[in-house]
Amino acid sequence: MLAALAMAATFPSLPLASAAAGASFFRERVEPLLQKRCYECHSHGGKIKGGLVLDSRAGWQAGGDSGPAVVPGSLEKSRLIEAVRYLNPDLEMPPKAKLPDGEVAVFEEWVRLGTPDPREAKTVEKAGVDLEQGRRHWAYQPVRDASPPAVQDEDWPLNEVDAFILAKQEANGLKPGPEADPHVWLRRVTLDLTGLPPTEAEIVEFVADHSPKAHERVVDRLLSSIAYGERWARHWLDLVGYAEQIGTEGKVFAEHAWRYRDYLVESFHHDKPFDRFIREQLAGDLLPAASPRERRENLIATGFILLGDVDINAIDKLKMEHDFVDSQVSKVGTAFLGMTLGCVRCHDHKFDAIGQQDYYALAGMFRSTRTTFKTPHGIWSNIHRVPLPELEEDRRIGAAHEEKLAAWRQQKQNLETELNATENKELREKLKPAITQLELRIAHGEYFHPGKPQAIAVQDGAKPTDMRVTIRGNPYALGDAVPRGLVRVAMWGPQPEIPAGQSGRLQLAEWIADSRNPLTARVAVNRVWQKLFGEGLVRSVDYFGTRGDTPSHPELLDHLAHRFMQEGWSQKKLIRTLALSRAYRLSSEDAAAEPENKLLTRMNRQRLDAESIRDAMLVASGRLAAPSGGPGLPLEFPENISGLPITAKSNHPQFSIRTERVSQNHERTLYLPVVRTGTQPGSARLRDVFDFPQPAQFTSKRSETTVPTQSLYLLNADLIRERGEDLAKSLLSVKEDDTVRLARLWLRVLSRPITAAEREDALSFLQASRAAGETRAWTELARALFGTNEFLLRF
Amino acid sequence: MQPMAAPRPLPLFRSSPGSRREWLKRAACGFGSLSLAALAEASPLRVPRAKRIIFLYMSGGPSQMDTFDYKPLLQKSDGKELPFAIPRLQEARKLGKLMASPFEFRQHGESGLRISSIFPRLARHADRLCVLNGMHTNGFDHGQAQIKMATGAETLVRPSIGSWVVYGLGEENKNLPGFISICPMRSERGTRGYSGAFLPASCQGTTIGFEDIPASKARISHLTNDQTPSTLQRRQLDLLAELNGAHRIQSGPDPRAEGVIGSFELAFRMQNEAPKLMDMSRESQATLDLYGIGRQPTDDFGRQCLMARRFAEAGVRFIQLTSTTRKLRPGVSDWDQHENLKEDLAFNAASVDQPIAALLTDLEQRGLLEDTLVWWGGEFGRTPLSQPSKGPAGRDHNPSGFTMWLAGGGVKGGITHGRTDDFGYRAVEDKVHMHDLHATLLHLLGLDHEKLTYRYAGRDFRLTDVYGNIVHPILA
Repeated sequence: MLAALAMAATFPSLPLASAAAGASFFRERVEPLLQKRCYECHSHGGKIKGGLVLDSRAGWQAGGDSGPAVVPGSLEKSRLIEAVRYLNPDLEMPPKAKLPDGEVAVFEEWVRLGTPDPREAKTVEKAGVDLEQGRRHWAYQPVRDASPPAVQDEDWPLNEVDAFILAKQEANGLKPGPEADPHVWLRRVTLDLTGLPPTEAEIVEFVADHSPKAHERVVDRLLSSIAYGERWARHWLDLVGYAEQIGTEGKVFAEHAWRYRDYLVESFHHDKPFDRFIREQLAGDLLPAASPRERRENLIATGFILLGDVDINAIDKLKMEHDFVDSQVSKVGTAFLGMTLGCVRCHDHKFDAIGQQDYYALAGMFRSTRTTFKTPHGIWSNIHRVPLPELEEDRRIGAAHEEKLAAWRQQKQNLETELNATENKELREKLKPAITQLELRIAHGEYFHPGKPQAIAVQDGAKPTDMRVTIRGNPYALGDAVPRGLVRVAMWGPQPEIPAGQSGRLQLAEWIADSRNPLTARVAVNRVWQKLFGEGLVRSVDYFGTRGDTPSHPELLDHLAHRFMQEGWSQKKLIRTLALSRAYRLSSEDAAAEPENKLLTRMNRQRLDAESIRDAMLVASGRLAAPSGGPGLPLEFPENISGLPITAKSNHPQFSIRTERVSQNHERTLYLPVVRTGTQPGSARLRDVFDFPQPAQFTSKRSETTVPTQSLYLLNADLIRERGEDLAKSLLSVKEDDTVRLARLWLRVLSRPITAAEREDALSFLQASRAAGETRAWTELARALFGTNEFLLRF
Repeated sequence: MQPMAAPRPLPLFRSSPGSRREWLKRAACGFGSLSLAALAEASPLRVPRAKRIIFLYMSGGPSQMDTFDYKPLLQKSDGKELPFAIPRLQEARKLGKLMASPFEFRQHGESGLRISSIFPRLARHADRLCVLNGMHTNGFDHGQAQIKMATGAETLVRPSIGSWVVYGLGEENKNLPGFISICPMRSERGTRGYSGAFLPASCQGTTIGFEDIPASKARISHLTNDQTPSTLQRRQLDLLAELNGAHRIQSGPDPRAEGVIGSFELAFRMQNEAPKLMDMSRESQATLDLYGIGRQPTDDFGRQCLMARRFAEAGVRFIQLTSTTRKLRPGVSDWDQHENLKEDLAFNAASVDQPIAALLTDLEQRGLLEDTLVWWGGEFGRTPLSQPSKGPAGRDHNPSGFTMWLAGGGVKGGITHGRTDDFGYRAVEDKVHMHDLHATLLHLLGLDHEKLTYRYAGRDFRLTDVYGNIVHPILA
């Protein structure tokens, strides 16, 4: 009776008598079915899949990750009914086979009756997002300035960084190890700051410089070099999923992608304030610009949002768009905030106080942004591009190009006239292919028009709107709409007002670039630290959430973050401080220190990344080309493009590299094309071997592996032989003693003087190998050096 | 826990050598090493029924109605309307009417399994096959479905199943990689099929050739060097060892540096070992004939199958073969028969039928079938509806119902499990999702799919994500 009363209270519309009837209907018909068909996966006694339990009334009321399972009285709104009817392939229950029709009917009847359920209320723990609790996590606390602590050994610190490091060591009864040899320091700092090893001349200069400013001079020289911009641009590209190919279906080129890469090089080279850098990339299109040049830069910057992987050949466009939004939200989370947001698409974050509400608040902004468009080719889409304001140089280049096109068109017309005029079969057969060739050239010239600059960039959509939650990420199963906004757990004030007609990206950018944001500066500073010291102060560099690592030196992290913002978000100033610390000078040799080296009594070693391995060989052989920039894919050769001229029925134009640009053999690896499918082209192939991240991934920490395929590559690949040969020839081109040549070889490859024992070994190797020829012997010697730990690791 | 034997090439080292436990973790899944999984507290190891998997991948999605899923009602309904609605996403594809299979089905073996006439030799192994007629998966396009099949995810970058297997079990043979993919596709969805994603790179598959290279010319890249004589290379390696050794004394022991040294030695050994395994001239003519090597259209897949047997014998954990038939006959779009189904599918079957039958026979004769699991299929199946084309019709993609089969280590032979509707469109009974199959494959190798996890970016990842039920009824 009590149960019946309770039920009557729950379903006031149900008369008491039928409530009792309902209860018995449930007991006799529904409950056994639930037990038999559902409990295995949806009860406290079994598993709790998708967060849904059906062993209590509260269970289906609260529902699982995707909301209430049943809406009493409504067959249409009840997910349970949708699931057992097997009408939505994305939501079929039980998963193994459809229930017999009779059993489906029982569930339908149950819902129609208003879902009577007399079971005693069991409380269901539906863990909502507890923001209060969540904010206690260190990473969501405001950044606090911390002054450097006092230390016992006052002579040791060279700057504040050292004070923090030493204080912690002293507190743990540890002492810093010795400093590294100056050669080792120079190689370390040159590689870390520019991705290149020092040249012979640079080594000689530094070793001879005995002034107390010697280190500063080196660091300042490196920071002002374009190579610095190139190095740090590549680090950033790892967080973007950058490639010069769109999607992975076919080979669709992203012909304007390089502008974003070059924008990064310039931005780091000119030390663009990091807060400005954030605003440009997230909302450059919405920022005011003082000049056409600035406008261009702002637009190009938004390539950040678009230059990731997207399935442009998907038949299901709605799903494609949702997936793309998901990758954008994930990217923003990883790149700027150190948060994993991707998993929140389907359910509240399991460990962090981030709910679906937060995800869809952000997702709505990108959903309100124009990012893809459908092309006239089959089911293909492409990513959004915008015309850039033309500059004087574009008009000049454009006019010259037009002249060329006009000449080709004229030529073609002449040939056609000739063709129409002649009956001579032989002549006709000659003319026809000539005309086709010209057609191709014209089509190619029109498609890749250099005078009409475009960028892969975004614009706000026509009707920015809030997005609805999707059930388990299924864009056809929709929940409630979520107002666009920011991630609550890391907020300090109210949600921003998003003006009507705008996506909200500008408000997002302002929030991320605000000095009150607890994550932005910490994440940025920690990444720089990781690049210089091998491990971050927070070792999980891309994830600052509750399951990530806690900072080894929280005060230092905050001190650096605070100072970074104080000093105008200048990355160069930050790097200068770190590189000139004593901690950065320490030897990496295995002191009797703690193995994890969390307290930094020595330097961590790092494997050179793919780019540095190739670039260092180029420097050693003296063949590194001057910085280039511009398109990576050699699309200027018409034979590399298929699908031109475009017709309504043709496929999307695609690339297939038949002709390579010879100059690329000696350019920095950064400037070589990055493709998403197949092996990396030409000499970029080396990337595949040495842990280049798949361009669909966003990561600031590459894996550093040692596998035999790498050794096979170093032993046998043509690319390595060519570099060794270049190096051998350049050494042999100067008339010198072998001992002098060996000394130079060691400086060029290992950045240090050769030892007597090594000289002996090398000479006897040369002696034994001369039968194969002088150049060959030196080539193989150089290659042996390319295989040494000293070359492949940075000590 | 058994101590690691020296000298051991070490696969993965990060910046700091770490504690011993950490070190073991990082060394996990390296050549000849114990697996991380085996060392972890919540061990995913169970009693294995198989030690390795050979996956025969039919790229493009073979039609179930024309191979292993006999549908008498479909045969009687040629040209009629499908009596129920087609999936929402397929509406745009302008499909035609029901199309009966042009091939005859007969019963084979004691089990009486029904197999299409295009697999005459494989049919003799009917009693070994465990046919999963109730397969279903996600993704209407090749890309998504292939990535789902290979990694359990549809879009995100996740480790491939072969990488998970090596991660979980480690390698058996220290001179060879644990995961080999022969003639895989070049596209990214192909690459993801052997990618280790965030797992240690030694879990990644080693490729031999690619889809457009005849298996007879397939090689491991950079395995040979025709410029440097091997005596010179040996001398080079000795010098390298000398230089590294001297530096090591000066800079102290460093497992990562040891790793570089070890991997050069392994590479040098692989240069000797791997070509021997790939050298078919050591096989008898009878064996070559058994596999159809030297004849068309079986030469390509025959070589792949024979290499698979040799690698299986040598202790490789996961061997993936890829049947792409466009390299055999221009105009055939692999197993993706949108058109010209009758002719092209028959051709495809003819190119793999004898090789697969030979592989099963050969494995059996050598006692390897007991602990080798052979897995056949494509990323999805096809529609019972025809897809009109200029020429003879074909069938469209269909992830809602299709067939894969298993044979060997740990599964019942001569059975079918699961059922599609009367026309073969959708799986309706004893359905097996790709996740379920993944869970089952790992189970057969003695791995618990819920415990085989890897922490990355703050989260534990699994091959089966949050899904996967082991298909118990098929276990022997």
